[in-house]
Amino acid sequence: MAAEAILLRRSHGATALQAPVPLEAYRGDGGYEGLEKALSMEPGDVIEEVKASGLRGRGGAGFPAGVKWGFIPKETDQPKYLVCNADESEPGTFKDRLLMETDPHQLIEGCAICCYAVGAHICYIYIRGEYVRQAEILETAIREAYDAGVLGDNVLKSGFKLDMRVHRGAGAYICGEETGMLESLEGKRGQPRVKPPFPAIIGAFGAPTVINNVETLCNVPHVMTRGAQWFSDVGTDERNTGPKLYCISGHVERPGVYEFPIGVTLDELLEAAGGVLGGKALKAFIPGGASAALLGAEHSHLPMDFDSLAKVGSMLGSAAVVVMDETTCLVRAVQRLAKFFAHESCGQCTPCREGTNWSQLVLGRIERGEGRPEDPDLLLRMTANMSGTALCALADACVGPVRSLVQNFRPEIEEHLAAGRCPHPYRPVFEETA
Amino acid sequence: MSKNMVSVTIDGRTVEVEAGSNLVDASLKAGVQIPHYCYHPKLSVVGQCRMCLVKIEGMPNLQTGCTTQIMKDGMEVRIDDDEVRAAQEGMMEFLLINHPLDCPICDQAGECGLQDYSFKHGQAFSRFSYEDKRTYPGKERIPLGPNVVLNMNRCIQCTRCVRFTEEISGTGELGFFQRGSRAEIGVFPGNELDNPLSTCVVDICPVGALTSTQFRFAERVWYLDKKPSLCTGCDAGCNITLEHRRGKIQRYKPRANDEVNDHWMCDFGRTTFQAYDEPRLSTPKRRNGRGEIRTITWDEALTSIHHSLAHGAAMGTVGILARGAATTEEAYLLKLLADSLETPHRGGLREPGPERLIPTSNGGLVGSEITPNRRGAELAGLEAPSSAERTAKMLAGAVNGAHSALLLFDGGRAGLDNALRSPAALEGLRKAETIVVVGWATTELTEIADIVLPIATHAETEGTLVNSQNRIQKFERAFPPPAGVRTGVEALVDLLRKFRPDFAPKTVADVFGLMATELSALEDVSLTELPASGIQLPVRPQ
Ligand code: SF4
Ligand code: SF4
Ligand code: SF4
Ligand code: FES
Repeated sequence: MAAEAILLRRSHGATALQAPVPLEAYRGDGGYEGLEKALSMEPGDVIEEVKASGLRGRGGAGFPAGVKWGFIPKETDQPKYLVCNADESEPGTFKDRLLMETDPHQLIEGCAICCYAVGAHICYIYIRGEYVRQAEILETAIREAYDAGVLGDNVLKSGFKLDMRVHRGAGAYICGEETGMLESLEGKRGQPRVKPPFPAIIGAFGAPTVINNVETLCNVPHVMTRGAQWFSDVGTDERNTGPKLYCISGHVERPGVYEFPIGVTLDELLEAAGGVLGGKALKAFIPGGASAALLGAEHSHLPMDFDSLAKVGSMLGSAAVVVMDETTCLVRAVQRLAKFFAHESCGQCTPCREGTNWSQLVLGRIERGEGRPEDPDLLLRMTANMSGTALCALADACVGPVRSLVQNFRPEIEEHLAAGRCPHPYRPVFEETA
Repeated sequence: MSKNMVSVTIDGRTVEVEAGSNLVDASLKAGVQIPHYCYHPKLSVVGQCRMCLVKIEGMPNLQTGCTTQIMKDGMEVRIDDDEVRAAQEGMMEFLLINHPLDCPICDQAGECGLQDYSFKHGQAFSRFSYEDKRTYPGKERIPLGPNVVLNMNRCIQCTRCVRFTEEISGTGELGFFQRGSRAEIGVFPGNELDNPLSTCVVDICPVGALTSTQFRFAERVWYLDKKPSLCTGCDAGCNITLEHRRGKIQRYKPRANDEVNDHWMCDFGRTTFQAYDEPRLSTPKRRNGRGEIRTITWDEALTSIHHSLAHGAAMGTVGILARGAATTEEAYLLKLLADSLETPHRGGLREPGPERLIPTSNGGLVGSEITPNRRGAELAGLEAPSSAERTAKMLAGAVNGAHSALLLFDGGRAGLDNALRSPAALEGLRKAETIVVVGWATTELTEIADIVLPIATHAETEGTLVNSQNRIQKFERAFPPPAGVRTGVEALVDLLRKFRPDFAPKTVADVFGLMATELSALEDVSLTELPASGIQLPVRPQ
């Protein structure tokens, strides 16, 4: 597939470190034209345009961005906020990082268009604490934008006022959950809030708030310059539109971020990334980040978009594609994922606090060869109790891989149980830390 | 009806509730209990324990009852449902996998939310391997402050205690630390849980994680008898449950009354029953001609008091003075006695004390007098509305020896500051020809008394008290007084009958009934019909 780079057009060689595109170069390449165009329109029309594009959130849930913007009350005495979710922390996901470190103004422009559309005058970019360099790059770019009159009291001489701040997290995955992020932004312990009320009504500091992922917002300038029609023509169908970044990692020759129209298949993606590492056979893959159900090699021809993946019980999520070759111990792989969720659960609600940890323990004992015959069913019962019962989506995120392991790869577990040990030789790639 | 009422159907039972009601509360109205841990009607709703999952018609997943408000008519809720039961069982299993299950040595056993719900919603076997239990080594008994001890192993992370210190006491000593299955509660570094309401966190902790230093290991709760009562620590009039084993009070716990103290009481109030351990008066006594105190019978004592008071009245100088610890009925009998003696020297003592504040959703409850019923005494007529001054004058008369006979109805706790107990006051009182003291403990006053009548403590009798908001509330007798001791009402009725042989009322209820015929505020109310939440009387200007 000859894919035209849209999001990454200025990020030469998507896998290499490069200096961020400065403001001048960005503008020279058509940058901030989307914002100019938006400022010349009625805010409501900007929202309509984004709705028409079919752009769905790239953070994981896939909620239509324009619809979300439309939830923000027009008449209100309160300030409104945009919080850009740059807390990218899901294992295997590193696309937002690339967008921020190579082309920060693309994000700033997207944020500015969104703010104008919903009438927000303050934008926070909430960035994960570990992204030190990326935070600095953004801060530099924001300073450039202020100096050039792109941000501040008179955005591009339109009279629109917009302030933008980078807010750094302190290293908790759960602060990527939108209400957990708001709590953290407000200076509290980062843990999700009860919903409803949704952030569009009561968000940051009790005021209406839009929360969008970095990649989602980076798409917005292109929707403005090229139009909703162009955008919705890219991708699988009218529900799965636009360009998409895929992060491929694991047993692959050239791991990295690849841009395709949404709906690329694993086969196509693997081809671009040089194939399975060492030419081995593909055993399984995660199509959409740590919380997506594992799929077997037979699904490698499936379009990786929101709906096609949902149909087979998995999800596009953050489009972090993890490739596992024939030598992989899937029990071990999923135990690592469960361990991640157990570690990152905020601990406030019962099914997640206890269930993620218990999943991790049971998988651990199976992997050590100490599993019990009833363990596969125990895992199913346990994940049933975690599914749809927790306060936020993190418990369900853990359910995804764990349940799919039992449902799609039960023989792997049975092998462990029968052998009383892991049938796969252990090949540490990295020394494991506790 | 001014409030907007909506109907909700829970397991087929339809009830009307105020629009905006919480579903957990509403279900109780329908006679169904939605199990819950983190929800507390007076704390913010956090939806954390996930125990309250229910099925709501038209909603995709199970919903948490505690976060559901009933806004419009016709919501249909199912709790008696396989899916709901499975979720409850699942939640119980999750809560128990790491629980130490040390009920045999846990103070909460018998009143534990985990035990109760395990029984109702749990399963009988464990699928968890013991060796994997998470523990908090070294955190099995950490004092959070002077009154509360934490055993982190038993905590189910419901954060009620944390929210209490944030939202009710407003002191914010507690926090939720760490995350995942290592999440724990504790005091912020350098702080301790030390506020006037701190023990309330023990009451609201659904499990045995928080225990009170006062009560822990004192008694197994299933041995305790419980009676609805009132705290007599001050005039706030907090509703309590008095818990005792065979007449030994083991603890006071706050009893919910949304009109008064919500679900709270102060730490000081919880200690006030300790005064009942002070040396008790057990028989009537009289000082003989040689100044020696001798035990006498009740009849001798009553005859003797009748004689002295009648004599005093003939000289025109009888004083009757009650501390504000007397119940309203006792005060009313004292008023009738003063009427019989035709003495104007009658009154209740006003005894200011430290201000005690109970934050409530009604704007707070304040107590500022050390005796619980000064207003009840006024209501009973022991002090006419404008006669605070006269009371003061009378007190001055008493301490200056202006009365030839004095009846002091002490009835309250010993050991507290008392205007009558200063050396100067005692010196003045001694000038009276006869001093009668009615009370339950040996005090400085009984030392100088000529005749002493032993009466019951408030735990041993029933009656009403009027609190600082002018709300009249009743309390029940928890256990009988010791042999030889009568209740204040019994003693005063017997004494009154010496003056008025035709005086018919006998019991507290009788006396209340008589009083109710005189007071329009209590018209047509009998003691048995007095609502559990009390009756608000018109507030009199002070
Ligand atoms: S599901 Fe997990 S992360 Fe989400 S609120 Fe509950 S404990 Fe916290
Ligand atoms: S100590 Fe008790 S009240 Fe506090 S969080 Fe734990 S279980 Fe809840
Ligand atoms: S405020 Fe007064 S009545 Fe209430 S508990 Fe404290 S001492 Fe008792
Ligand atoms: S009572 Fe509803 S979640 Fe705890």
